[in-house]
Amino acid sequence: MRGATSTPRSLGWLLLPALLVLALFLGSVALLFFHAFWGKDGFSLIYFRQILDRADYHEVFLRTVSIAAIVSVAAAILAYPIAWLLWRLPRWRNLLLVIVLVPWLVSLVVRTYGWLVILGPKGFLNETLKWAGVIQSPVPLIFNDLGVVIGLTHVLMPFAVISTLSVLLQIDHRLEEASESLGAGGFDTWRRVVLPLSLPGVFTGLSITFLTSMGAIVTPILLGGVRQKMAGTQIYQEVVYNFNMSKASAWAICLLLLSALGLALLRAAEAALVPKADR
Amino acid sequence: MNAPLIRLGRAGSFALLLFLPLPIVVIGATSFAAAGYLRFPPGELSLRWYAEAATDPRWIEAFATSLAIAAVVAVLVTAIAFAGAYACHRLRPRWLPAFELAIMSPLFFPHAALGVALVNVLAMAGYLGTATGIVIAHVVCTLPFAWRPIVVALQRIDGEIVEAASLLGADERRIALGIALPLARSGLVTALLFSFIISFDEVTVTMFLTGPQVTTLPVQIYAFIQENASPVLAAISTATVVVTLLVVMLLERLIGLEFFVAHDPA
Repeated sequence: MRGATSTPRSLGWLLLPALLVLALFLGSVALLFFHAFWGKDGFSLIYFRQILDRADYHEVFLRTVSIAAIVSVAAAILAYPIAWLLWRLPRWRNLLLVIVLVPWLVSLVVRTYGWLVILGPKGFLNETLKWAGVIQSPVPLIFNDLGVVIGLTHVLMPFAVISTLSVLLQIDHRLEEASESLGAGGFDTWRRVVLPLSLPGVFTGLSITFLTSMGAIVTPILLGGVRQKMAGTQIYQEVVYNFNMSKASAWAICLLLLSALGLALLRAAEAALVPKADR
Repeated sequence: MNAPLIRLGRAGSFALLLFLPLPIVVIGATSFAAAGYLRFPPGELSLRWYAEAATDPRWIEAFATSLAIAAVVAVLVTAIAFAGAYACHRLRPRWLPAFELAIMSPLFFPHAALGVALVNVLAMAGYLGTATGIVIAHVVCTLPFAWRPIVVALQRIDGEIVEAASLLGADERRIALGIALPLARSGLVTALLFSFIISFDEVTVTMFLTGPQVTTLPVQIYAFIQENASPVLAAISTATVVVTLLVVMLLERLIGLEFFVAHDPA
């Protein structure tokens, strides 16, 4: 008599709602490909040609990928010390975690608006510097690539902290003690023991933050200038202003391919940097 | 010799930590400035922007819409995730790893691509620019976040309890609703609050789906920033921060925040 294991098949019905959601998602992806590859008379690459033939769009792709690369690496580097701090202060971890989680969960439009208020031409920083007599006229901190990089890096940092911290918390404290009893100082222990063990968390963070910045729309529109277009802003424009779903879908597929390429490169970098036993 | 270095490292890390809430704090401070912008030294304080926001029907409506959509999404997605995760937990089908990967797959989609994909399908069904359409899209986006805490909670249930109940004659319905549901409540509450807050604050996908009939609070904030950055926005934004903060504190009180930093075995 193995009561718990003889489960009736009727339980399978419970999967139905989740399967419906999944079908909806997969259906929407299928439709994405259909719109992108189906022209007026059947299969066509015209929408891709409309995108790939334009030199100014090449620049958009290049900017999207380089900004995504810069901000995900910057977020990983800036987030690491925060994760380390939370890891070293277990008694304060819950309070400090709230300081990380709330900015992560607050709407990104609100966080971006905050940067507008701080960095704008008449923003807090420029006005303060002017009041202090450091500058005469406002320094252009937004409506350029710098603004987009600052805004996106800040938007991505909380997630990088969380993914790094979750791996740091897995580290056996005895490893540190062993390292220190063998004569390594605090910094050496971090560099030789803690850092290599925490790299998988850093790479998880890098993958997700890279994806997020590849698909960003709000921050590039609000903090970038008219010329600082990214793939996400182009897609949004095609859908909302031009109602060109086919071209928008083709853009989205280009974005997906570039993202997959970036993730593959990150995988390769992780394989090269992290010893196998830790993965 | 290492102590000062570590102290320096801690101070630097702490400064970086305080960088995270900086824009939110600045918005909060701005919302109370009578002048409508933040300056140093600070000017007179006032609640006029809150009064202005609270008497503007557009903001009240968007706020109510966002709260209602988030509540419906949270309940819906938690129910869907519990039903599905429970069935998987009991039946353990061979294709479970592939199925869970498929459930998680929206996470690997850049939001701009996800937005277009959902516009395509919702336009076909005639739900574009409706609250129903936004709810459907949010359920798709939040299912991965609701799924994981529920799976973790179900795995923590002692299998012998289920076996004992079954031997004592409890039917499947009784086991699911009388045993698994209450014992998995930490996962359910986490899923409920987490999906509520994601839905309430989501903007990138939602901005593809709103229309003249319905808009959410974050999307309306975005539209107003583009039109004219009135200081009313600071008051509205602060209100969304308060909602988010309250939900996070509630989660911390009820369940704790360990879930967010629990190691993902996948």
